[in-house]
Amino acid sequence: MRIRAGTVVAIVASVLLAACATSGPKFSEMTASMSPAKPDMGRIYFYRTTVLGAAVQPGVRLNGEVVGKAVPNGFFYVDSPPGNYQVATETEVERKLTFTLEAGQVRYVRLNISMGFFVGHVYGELVDETKGLKDIADLHYTGEPRTP
Amino acid sequence: MIVSKRALGILSLLMLLLGSCAPVVVQEPTQLTPAEGKGFRLTQAAEVALATGYSTTLRANTTWQLVGTVPQGEVYRTRDQVVTLEGAHIHEGYIVVDQRALVGFYLPVERTFSPVAPAKPLSMEP
Repeated sequence: MRIRAGTVVAIVASVLLAACATSGPKFSEMTASMSPAKPDMGRIYFYRTTVLGAAVQPGVRLNGEVVGKAVPNGFFYVDSPPGNYQVATETEVERKLTFTLEAGQVRYVRLNISMGFFVGHVYGELVDETKGLKDIADLHYTGEPRTP
Repeated sequence: MIVSKRALGILSLLMLLLGSCAPVVVQEPTQLTPAEGKGFRLTQAAEVALATGYSTTLRANTTWQLVGTVPQGEVYRTRDQVVTLEGAHIHEGYIVVDQRALVGFYLPVERTFSPVAPAKPLSMEP
């Protein structure tokens, strides 16, 4: 059986686009219904804007515990007690991010992708609230299902 | 010397890959003694080159509050911007100031000091 080159391209494109599609409500649609962190906790948003390397979606570890996945065009958040935090992802090269969190503080961790020896790797970058809020506005929630 | 296009291509790729292997941020043990009650406003932005090859920028019109002292100087932090030191890993940092110049960073998670050489004079006002 002969398969046309156009058919192959269409199949590959649809697979790649499916990998890029992120469901879930947008941040801008969720803000009204989203409750803030408890007063004795801080909140950390994790987000990934780019679809570059969409097939690479490693787990995101916060102090060694997997708290979500680096999904393109997606975000999730974690409420945590004040303290020291380390973010790393489960990729070929581990590039750690360390920062502090205070009660009532909101932190934004942008998940970037860079070139690795065999595949791209994802690492966290701590960004200002202004940039974080701007970046995250049109991204889709990829965390645990929420009940109103 | 004649170098083929293929060899040049491989060399470029290797350089690109090696470029992603940044050196670690230099850190020295230090001891922070908490303090407060002082602060300043940075009147001009300061771009600080790091030994890792990256740089970090302290923005103009940011307000800095004293959080403590280390043997290398006074430690200040701001809520107006995020300050990170980038190398093989990325670390949040507070600035360490001595005689109106930035002499390094205090890394609050690691509790270490990362020097800046030469010291960077800062334009500040109370």
